[in-house]
Amino acid sequence: MSFRAALRKHRSLRWGFILVILVVVFSVVGPWLTPHDAFMSNPERAMTREFLPVGPSREYPLGADRLFRDMLARLALGGRLSLLIGVVASAIAATLGGLVGVVSGYFAGKKWTGLVDSGLMRLVDVGLSFPFLLLVMAIGAMLERTTVTSLLVTLGFTGWLGTARVVRAKTLTVRDLDYIVAARALGQRRILILWKHILPNVAGPLLVSATLSIGQMILTESVLSYLGVGISPPAPTWGAMLYEGQDSYTLAPWLLACPAMAIVSTVLGFNLVGEGLRDVLDPRG
Amino acid sequence: MNSFAGIFRRVLSALVVVFSVASVSFFLLATLPGDPARMVAGPQARPEDLARIRKELQLDKPLVARYGLFVKKLVHLGKGAGVAAHQDCGRASPLPGGYELHFNLGKSYQHNTPVAKEIATRFPRSVGLAVAGIFVQLLIGIVLGSIAAAKKGTNVDRFITSLSSLGVSAPTFLTAVLLQYLFAHRLRWLPLDGFGDTMFAHARAIILPALTLGLYGAAYFARLVRDEMITLLSQDFVRTARAKGASRLRAFVVHGLRGALLPLATAAGLELGALASGAAVTESIFRWPGLGHLGVDAVLNRDGPMVMGVVLVAASSVVVATAAIDIFGKWLHPFARETPGN
Repeated sequence: MSFRAALRKHRSLRWGFILVILVVVFSVVGPWLTPHDAFMSNPERAMTREFLPVGPSREYPLGADRLFRDMLARLALGGRLSLLIGVVASAIAATLGGLVGVVSGYFAGKKWTGLVDSGLMRLVDVGLSFPFLLLVMAIGAMLERTTVTSLLVTLGFTGWLGTARVVRAKTLTVRDLDYIVAARALGQRRILILWKHILPNVAGPLLVSATLSIGQMILTESVLSYLGVGISPPAPTWGAMLYEGQDSYTLAPWLLACPAMAIVSTVLGFNLVGEGLRDVLDPRG
Repeated sequence: MNSFAGIFRRVLSALVVVFSVASVSFFLLATLPGDPARMVAGPQARPEDLARIRKELQLDKPLVARYGLFVKKLVHLGKGAGVAAHQDCGRASPLPGGYELHFNLGKSYQHNTPVAKEIATRFPRSVGLAVAGIFVQLLIGIVLGSIAAAKKGTNVDRFITSLSSLGVSAPTFLTAVLLQYLFAHRLRWLPLDGFGDTMFAHARAIILPALTLGLYGAAYFARLVRDEMITLLSQDFVRTARAKGASRLRAFVVHGLRGALLPLATAAGLELGALASGAAVTESIFRWPGLGHLGVDAVLNRDGPMVMGVVLVAASSVVVATAAIDIFGKWLHPFARETPGN
């Protein structure tokens, strides 16, 4: 089934796809189109007589934030950062998880090389028993100042454990398929078997798990910002904006509503796409 | 996993996992920036005080030696109560001969109090919140999931499914803030945050954090119940039951819901394991004095021993929950129970 046919048939995949496209277009193109600069404070025009930021108006469509900067511009720029973090961290996690899962699954249960599998899976067990947030926070505290790069590395290198388990399970079910046994019997090199025969078979679950994890990464970023170990200002991420907005939501509800809507729709979009892909790629499970 | 040996192996591997977590944490925390001696003594401390405290905390010894001491102290046998050498220990289960099992995690850098005791007071509060939260999750999840399964394919089903997609996509602190706004700020029915002094006050204070945890997890449980029920209800034994005259409700509850019990219990057990050590964000927002709040606070203040304590409780509860599900899970499973040697 082609992707287009799947989109037409599968309702949640379609809606998720539309949401993701909207968010991506808004974040990628948005910062060039907004009339104000995201870092430019403008108290003369963006402050009311009560010294509050202006609400949604003609000049500031989504209002201004507490430092009198344009919300729309910040939301779009923050979208770039949040999407970048979600996508790249998930890519790192999917690569690591895929690698570990395929290798581990392929060697599982064999006499000597099986030790590789036991070792890797015990590592996953230990990793999954760690309180994830505390671990990420501790690494953040260790680095003193959180930058985009450090956050990407932290999230990517802690987020692969679940993926590895999923991929390993899938590898176990395909590694003894006849044509793979045949390839082995014909003397195909191990690395080529893994790359050409096993990887395409596990690509589906890997893709699903990576798509779902994009939303999770964006959520985690927002939680880290909330707990005070997110990316340092002035860079706007949606999580940091949400955190800034929550103190004054009774006076200026748009400060909370804008980033909240952005986060929820993005995460929802990626979740729907991920679940839709899972149904399309594996109708039974 | 039927035999005694199987259970023994499972428990052993659980212990190995917890020990590995402790070791990794130890070295990770040792590399945290900041001087623990200065944290204990305060920013204005004299150099000789710093040196004395460094010696007391054994920070002058090499890392490997400190690790050895840490492991030796972590779990050991002690005798009797009130012995000066064991005053920082958390105690458990008296053994024959007057011995007890002691857990010594050292003293908090920040508060200078024994970590084991602090954890012992806070652990029940976190478990309480976890149980309340999971109760809400199961209640909403089972009701909505069953309705969705019964009305499969209709607008009701679609509405519930969309609601649950939305539920898992919202950050918990957003839910928390909205709940606080509605029930504490606007309606003034419930306290904004805190723990309260009396039982009644605790019960009032737990409602909002439990709802926050509950709404997030309910979305997941609703979907789980829906999918399980749809699979189960399409199976032969349900049709047979209907053919033999069982009512639709009976077929639904006795044959459907009961079959969904194992995956539900598994998910709820894992959730309890994950939440027993505290829901960091929810506890922080509602200032619920449990382990999650403690852990976040300890990391932000570079309080190594306290972080270690929370990490260990967290890892142990996850491991215990997983092992318990492995060992006891089959008793809940209607098929596995009756097949010997499974």
